Amino acid sequence: MKLHKILMAATACAALLSPVGASAEGVKKIGLAVPNLQADFFNQIKLGVENYGKEKGIEVIVVDAKNDTATQVSQVQDLMTQGIDAFIYIPAGAAAAAVPTRLAREAGIPVINVDRFPEGEPGDTFIGGEGVNSSYQVCSEIIKRAGGAGKMVIIHGQKGTTPEIDRTEGCMKAIGENAGVELVDQQWTERWSADEGFAITQNMLTANPDITMIFGQADGIAMGAAKAVDVANLSDKVIIGGYDGDGSALEYLAKCEGPFVVTATQSTRRMGVLAVDSAIAVANGETVPEKQVSEAVLTTCDNAAEFVANHP
Amino acid sequence: MQTQSRSGASKGTSPLFGSMKGATGPLIGLILLCAFLTVATDTFFSVRNFLNILDQITVLGIMAVGMTFVILIGGIDLAVGSVMALTMMVLGYLNVELGVAMGIAIPASLAAAALNGLVAGILITRFNVPAFIATLAMMSITRGLANMITNGQQIIGFPAWFNMSAIIRYGGFLTLTVALMLVVFVLGLLYQRYRYGGRALYAIGGNPEVARLAGINVTLMTVMVYVVCSVLAGVSGIVLGARLDSVQPSSGVGYELDAIAAVVIGGTSLSGGTGGIGGTVIGVLIIGVLRNGLNLLSVSPFMQQVVIGAVIVLAVTAETFRKRK
Repeated sequence: MKLHKILMAATACAALLSPVGASAEGVKKIGLAVPNLQADFFNQIKLGVENYGKEKGIEVIVVDAKNDTATQVSQVQDLMTQGIDAFIYIPAGAAAAAVPTRLAREAGIPVINVDRFPEGEPGDTFIGGEGVNSSYQVCSEIIKRAGGAGKMVIIHGQKGTTPEIDRTEGCMKAIGENAGVELVDQQWTERWSADEGFAITQNMLTANPDITMIFGQADGIAMGAAKAVDVANLSDKVIIGGYDGDGSALEYLAKCEGPFVVTATQSTRRMGVLAVDSAIAVANGETVPEKQVSEAVLTTCDNAAEFVANHP
Repeated sequence: MQTQSRSGASKGTSPLFGSMKGATGPLIGLILLCAFLTVATDTFFSVRNFLNILDQITVLGIMAVGMTFVILIGGIDLAVGSVMALTMMVLGYLNVELGVAMGIAIPASLAAAALNGLVAGILITRFNVPAFIATLAMMSITRGLANMITNGQQIIGFPAWFNMSAIIRYGGFLTLTVALMLVVFVLGLLYQRYRYGGRALYAIGGNPEVARLAGINVTLMTVMVYVVCSVLAGVSGIVLGARLDSVQPSSGVGYELDAIAAVVIGGTSLSGGTGGIGGTVIGVLIIGVLRNGLNLLSVSPFMQQVVIGAVIVLAVTAETFRKRK
């Protein structure tokens, strides 16, 4: 009830609000629960939170669920035991568990969701990338570079997760707008990983040697796909797009060679900073918007180098 | 009566405590670990935290009891994590999608788990497939089936009491799920100590051929052990579902290794015939306390992996070293 009111108020004054530069008073210790630090995307968010926390004199405690929801619930219990003042929650797995949010509510501390949020139990604010529009841009770029027609495949992320659904929707829109593009195959990975991307692409190329466009829903997948395309000696025929703007992918793009040519760089560090600021704002009784969107930037050979030097 | 009083007098322990035999090393380790964490953090030694730890080990604890029986007879069950996921998905499908009452959905989902154990047991005994391979195959098959039920999607929308059973602490102390784990522990200990079947497990683990010649129905016992292990994996899946208030087919990946680690840390030999539930309870507690303590110490996630691995090595080498002497 109370949460609902806060959210309504938050939406109302979203335009007026600027959480940047809030004072850290009242928040000395922040708990950050991440699904999996092996993924560069989450690691970047963690670095954003940690660096900014240091600046603000806030202690940050990080727990890594290794993609297991049950582990995450246990870890959140332990965070509560340590008396954290605010909780930044990135749910693990496709089933975004509502239980950690309930635990934090019980302890009466702010809950900030980043990237995903549990159905039916949202936190005080949700900070997320915008998946549909950015992946539309990536796929449009792939199609443009491939000459507007040909055979395309999509290698998805973990089935059923919010980013997987959004990125599929965006890319499908781009494919729908180009009548000459034929979607010949789609496969799902379990962990958004490069080795899966590699293996899946090899199989796809075996079944359809004349594929000219590949969209990997994460940079890891795209990098794996690029490797498979290299091995098959098709580097100059295939255009690959990725997503996320991982450090290693940006370095790859900055070299301007190879089949992997376009990605969408998420402002992951900025998301971490935004999460800390929102946590402070909520703890101080200020209102924050229900949803804060951090747009991804289309990245190619032209602008990858500057992101390598300074990750957004 | 005579033997019982003799062993009781010489060891100065109750017969039930006798099943802790071989677990003294791990027990000392657990006590040292607790003592260290009490000094190193100001949050570890509290009733609230101990209750949290009990919450956190329910899934692993119940699963490890079944695994102990399997390892005692010299077998291994790699399918428990997948069986757990399948049980959860069957439960979710029956209760949420089809609207079957929990009173029927829970036994039905456990029956699905039992069927898995039955198939594994028959593969091992009738078709002479090594346990490692048979359960490795079942691990893959069962995981696939669990995914097929909802095409990889999670299921939410269980009745409210289901999640509450993992949250409300009756008498300020026990959640229903923790109580269930304690019941499984006690039943396991009693069975192993006082029933004919419990002692037969050691005989089979020691030497199956001798056990068979001694009149033990080794085939039946082996199949039953895998069935029980699968059912307990199913029970732990239901507990996990209650804890998360949702079920998903990707649950329990790698849990079989956690369960095996708990059993081995607790002093049960992977080659079978020695060890027992008492040690496993200690092993489960060590893993639970360690994970909880490392979080409380704010040890970085990467370092935690190193420490947990090191503790497994330490526990097992200490035990083998002690035996050699």
